Amino acid sequence: MTDTNAIEQAREALRQVYDPELGLDIVALGLVYGLSVEDGRLVIEMTLTTPGCPVSENLPQQAVEAVSAAVAPFGMPAELRVVWDPPWTPERMDDHAAGTLGFGRT
Amino acid sequence: MIPVSATTPATAPSGGANPGGSPLGPPSVPPAIVPLTFLVAAAIGLVGFGVVLAFAADGLVVDPRGQAALAAVHLGLLAFLSTAVLGALHQFAPVVGVRPLRSIAVGRVTPFVFFAGAVALTTGFAHGPEWLVPAGGAVAFTGIALAAWNLSQPLSSRGKGTSILGLRLSVSFLIATAAFGVVYAFDRHTGWFPLLSNRVLAHAHLGLLGWLGLTYVAVAEKLWPMFLLAHRPKAQAGDWAVRLLATGTALLVPGLLFGVEPLAIAGGIVAITGLGAHLVSLAGVIRHRRRRLELLHAFVLASSVALVAAVALGVAAGLADVGSDTRARLAAGEVAALFGWITLAVIGHAHKIVPFIAWSALRERGFTNAPGGGPLLFADLFDGRVARATFVGACAAVVLVVTGILAASSTTVLAAGCAFATVGVLVLANLGLGPRRLTRAVATGRASPVGPGPTSNGTRLTEELA
Repeated sequence: MTDTNAIEQAREALRQVYDPELGLDIVALGLVYGLSVEDGRLVIEMTLTTPGCPVSENLPQQAVEAVSAAVAPFGMPAELRVVWDPPWTPERMDDHAAGTLGFGRT
Repeated sequence: MIPVSATTPATAPSGGANPGGSPLGPPSVPPAIVPLTFLVAAAIGLVGFGVVLAFAADGLVVDPRGQAALAAVHLGLLAFLSTAVLGALHQFAPVVGVRPLRSIAVGRVTPFVFFAGAVALTTGFAHGPEWLVPAGGAVAFTGIALAAWNLSQPLSSRGKGTSILGLRLSVSFLIATAAFGVVYAFDRHTGWFPLLSNRVLAHAHLGLLGWLGLTYVAVAEKLWPMFLLAHRPKAQAGDWAVRLLATGTALLVPGLLFGVEPLAIAGGIVAITGLGAHLVSLAGVIRHRRRRLELLHAFVLASSVALVAAVALGVAAGLADVGSDTRARLAAGEVAALFGWITLAVIGHAHKIVPFIAWSALRERGFTNAPGGGPLLFADLFDGRVARATFVGACAAVVLVVTGILAASSTTVLAAGCAFATVGVLVLANLGLGPRRLTRAVATGRASPVGPGPTSNGTRLTEELA
């Protein structure tokens, strides 16, 4: 139950991490591939829209800082894994994000 | 220490997994002050260019190689365009090459040296004294040498793709262009190297195609997919564009310089093919984009129109059966259109690059919130309405200067100068004052530097972009 709560807290924290160019949070953009608890650590798997993304330096750092703060009450450190496989696609966005970027779904 | 790791399997997209350095690798990005100093100087250079162009309009339409024209052209190409492009390279090359500049201190000094040299050179052309021309040329060349030395470390990275290859070649062309100019500056009254029309064109094409054009073509292959979220792992057009434009320039310039017509024509054909591949690459990026087009893409598309116009004018100047006056006017129009090509691209990309650099610098200083309370976004750092006005003004300026030269209308060229100066002021005010407005709002208590983000995803940015 604690793990589930920690993951939920982490997800909410990641909803406050914004891509500064697109103005969308990284959960809505579908950049967060997974949240899990491994060996007492909260592990975030995330990607970026493109390998040359201008915020490739900042976004992962912001994400891990936000999650670290969110799960600190659970006594868990956070670990971020930046993954490129599978690559990000627009289909991973939620409907709001897709609409904002001009990929509205019917 | 917060653990952050990068997983880069064999199926990772090409282009490198860590273009930005930390947290996925060693930091290579220079301090914001380095590129921003270049870019502020470039905006001032654009204002100066517009003013000088307006004053030089009468002389320029009579003699495109006269002293007034030389002053305006060199101010535009050195104090504005080359300064801006060098600034962008000081940010871009270390990121893409994943290697830092050789010296941050030299990077801080270089824009002042280069800009001072460019202004001295053009002042010498416009008003004298005569010694100011070689002195300014030597100082500007020193700035270029410093930049080339500093950039040589990131540009020596192996296996970093087309962009780095193109930049290595373009910086080499920059040095060649500058050396050409310095030789002429020192020889102006000796006369062993008279500045014949074909030599002027060789110098102009070396700078416009080999240095500025090739740099843009190379950098675009990284920036366009990034800004349009386009993934094209098998795209080849950009690679061809870089190689053909470099080869074409290397043939065209000696062909013009030594008056070897077949060589010049062959070089022109190869260069035009390369520029065509560049446009094919743009079309591919647009076709595979994952977001709607925005203001930057309006700049890029307008810039491409200027490029097509330049090619048409260049072909006409080279091959049309016309008199020498008309040929000179067509060639001058081609040079102006090439200038417009790079100008529109530079101003458009500045509206992406400057907010990104400023955003990173502000976050490092603890500014994470916009004055409205939401998370700090790039869109908070400039006014979209002013940016759109800048686009209209820049397009108008390019159209006016090209048509003014072709029609030999000093009034039109004067209007172009006024438009360029206005655009420079708009860029300087919009991109320069945006971050200042934010820090001032925090200082006066009208905004908090940090705080929680909004709860509705992206609504504010959507409204602003609309």
